[in-house]
Amino acid sequence: MGQRKKVGAVKTSSSENDTGEASKVSPKHNICMVSDFFYPNMGGVESHIYQLSQCLIEKGHKVVIATHAYGRRKGVRYLTNGLKVYYLPLQVMYNQSTATTCFHSLPLLRCVFVRERITVVHAHSSFSAMAHDALFHAKTMGLNTVFTDHSLFGFADVSSVLTNKLLTVSLCDTNHIVCVSYTSKENTVLRAALNPEIVSVIPNAVDPTDFTPDPSQRPTDRITIVVISRLVYRKGIDLLGGIIPELCLKHPDLHFLIGGEGPKRIVLEEVREKYQLHDRVRLLGALEHKDVRGVLVQGHIFLNTSLTEAFCMAIVEGASCGLQVVSTRVGGIPEVLPEDLITLCEPTVSSLCKGLEKVIAKQRSGSFPSPNSTHARVKNLYTWRNVAERTEKVYDRVAGEEVLPLEKRLWRLRSHCGPVAGSIFAFVAVLDFLFLLLLQWLVPDRHMDFAVDATGPNGLWVKKRQKSEPGC
Amino acid sequence: MGPDGVPSQSVPWRKVLWERQPFPDNYVDQRFLEELRRNEGIRQYRYWAVVKEAGFVGQQLSCVAIFITLWLYMEQGLLSPETLLWTSLSCALPGYGLYQVLTAQTESCSESRTHLADSQSAVLFLSFTFGFSPVLKTLTESVSTDTVYAMSALMLLAHLLSFPYAHPSPPGSLSLNAALFASVCLASRLPGALHTFAMLTCALLVFALWPCLLQRLRENAPGHFTGACVGVCVGGVGGLGSQSPGGAMLLSLALVSVTLICPLLLVSLQRHKDNIQGPWDEAEIQEDLSRFLH
Repeated sequence: MGQRKKVGAVKTSSSENDTGEASKVSPKHNICMVSDFFYPNMGGVESHIYQLSQCLIEKGHKVVIATHAYGRRKGVRYLTNGLKVYYLPLQVMYNQSTATTCFHSLPLLRCVFVRERITVVHAHSSFSAMAHDALFHAKTMGLNTVFTDHSLFGFADVSSVLTNKLLTVSLCDTNHIVCVSYTSKENTVLRAALNPEIVSVIPNAVDPTDFTPDPSQRPTDRITIVVISRLVYRKGIDLLGGIIPELCLKHPDLHFLIGGEGPKRIVLEEVREKYQLHDRVRLLGALEHKDVRGVLVQGHIFLNTSLTEAFCMAIVEGASCGLQVVSTRVGGIPEVLPEDLITLCEPTVSSLCKGLEKVIAKQRSGSFPSPNSTHARVKNLYTWRNVAERTEKVYDRVAGEEVLPLEKRLWRLRSHCGPVAGSIFAFVAVLDFLFLLLLQWLVPDRHMDFAVDATGPNGLWVKKRQKSEPGC
Repeated sequence: MGPDGVPSQSVPWRKVLWERQPFPDNYVDQRFLEELRRNEGIRQYRYWAVVKEAGFVGQQLSCVAIFITLWLYMEQGLLSPETLLWTSLSCALPGYGLYQVLTAQTESCSESRTHLADSQSAVLFLSFTFGFSPVLKTLTESVSTDTVYAMSALMLLAHLLSFPYAHPSPPGSLSLNAALFASVCLASRLPGALHTFAMLTCALLVFALWPCLLQRLRENAPGHFTGACVGVCVGGVGGLGSQSPGGAMLLSLALVSVTLICPLLLVSLQRHKDNIQGPWDEAEIQEDLSRFLH
């Protein structure tokens, strides 16, 4: 049943062609992005999903987003360009991630997938239970699946052993995986025991028009170091608490501008109190995305003290605003910017201070290129259009691949995930399949209305906006 | 660019994202995972060294057995409280002297507690226990004996599980409290108030002071430490054997498995250890950053 639907859906997307090379017109896909993390929640994953969806719509694909209800925001919403968002009523358990039972989300997600004639399910973030649920159900329904991993994970403790096992189960029969940096790819391949050939590296992007330099905003009588990050342990705020007094004692014209909020704010406040730096260390609190640029352009140096980072958009934003970037050498950060735009240091107070002092000395001598020339170099490095193009290729590739039928899927689970976890999840997969049969018997696919397309090949958003809106 | 691009072998692949490279996105270079490190800083265990360390666990198990044996003798009236008290005292005084000698060997300069402070604590503890022993004796009168036994067994188990075997001096608060709770429970089932006092004094000696002395021995006289452990184990099995041969069998089985078989397992399973490290690991802050705050 599920298989049949998929074939039909591929046909509606007007192509059986999997190379994309032979035909001039690349196939159009009906994509469903699934993640627990979406607006109104703010963060890297959220903006990634939004920007990628917008660029894919621009390229003529149909995109819908499924996430869980945020407070009173539930049901269906339309965003710019007819991007449809389903806020599904699923129970949030912890940190905006939904509870998972492997089954309860199937009826709702099946409704979305069938009504929207989805061909590719693209799940985001390994922390999102809903994303893993959606992958699981999509495979049961015979849809192609893509997963994007946005974060790095260790191997040392019990919690990572368990989550890595779940990731192995979730990704063992996923068609393709996208990581945001080469380090992240290595990490994901190891965590989920994957074939590296099915893992693509597509970096995040930054909207360069949002982050333009404005040298007139920089005060000339002082040097300002800007830090914009959540104030949490993983961002190395304790290191920052050591750097501030060290450097402020040495350089009387040095100022710190710190944007962000979090439990480690107290560390910075204590340091500021103890060394009487109230006029030189400003804590701005949580910043809205639109205010970030206004803070960045006031500085000369952008400092990132993260202890782990898969990609780090913040340093690209900083460099795009023409700042000199100083960062810890962790995770994927060394891959992000060319050597002359970034100073990499070890994650220790002394190494970071040394790096910062070098940059300060160069800044004083004026040997850095102008902010505008830095911006000109950075602005074309990471664009969402490029990300969408590369993601499109992943969809094209995936659309030609076979979704494992149930017996092959069970065999794959048992051979790939170990005898215990494999058998358990093979059993769960069978139950999920039976549940799907029950749902298909209760409400056959043919009785389900197709949703009005706001976007995609036959999108009504521009042409008949008034009609498409009350459709849901 | 993209999975359809044809990789030209003339340009070497670089692990950078900022450069558009003529390789597909899913390209896997030979250098893939080259920064992966396995089993870094792994400790190679030697069997007899592990057995020696496991001896501490074994002797602690035997200490519990010895304590229970003493209690059994007291309960049956085979051991008078006076004898126990005098024996305890005659063990405590040389033990204290030995402890002082061993401490003086290592840390002569650092400020240690004075003898006066030590004797003050001892007097305080003894007088309070003596004063309260009639109360402790009747404490669990309204509780059924079965409950008291079950509770004691549970608490002694908790003592063994939560005992800080790596740094037993001073004994961890949870393990010490569990052991003392168990001894109060058991002591309250003895015939008289003096019995209770003697039992509690003995418990203090076995569960609080002996681990401290043994730790000193482990640090300063490793040879004697092994001897002490073996002695305690033999004493435990022998003592328990005089009261319950079945219990002694079980204890010796437990001792053999803890001190001989478990280390064997650890050493033989060590070669299966596969610990992966790489650039994705969260960096650890090695420095002491509190100096900036205080």
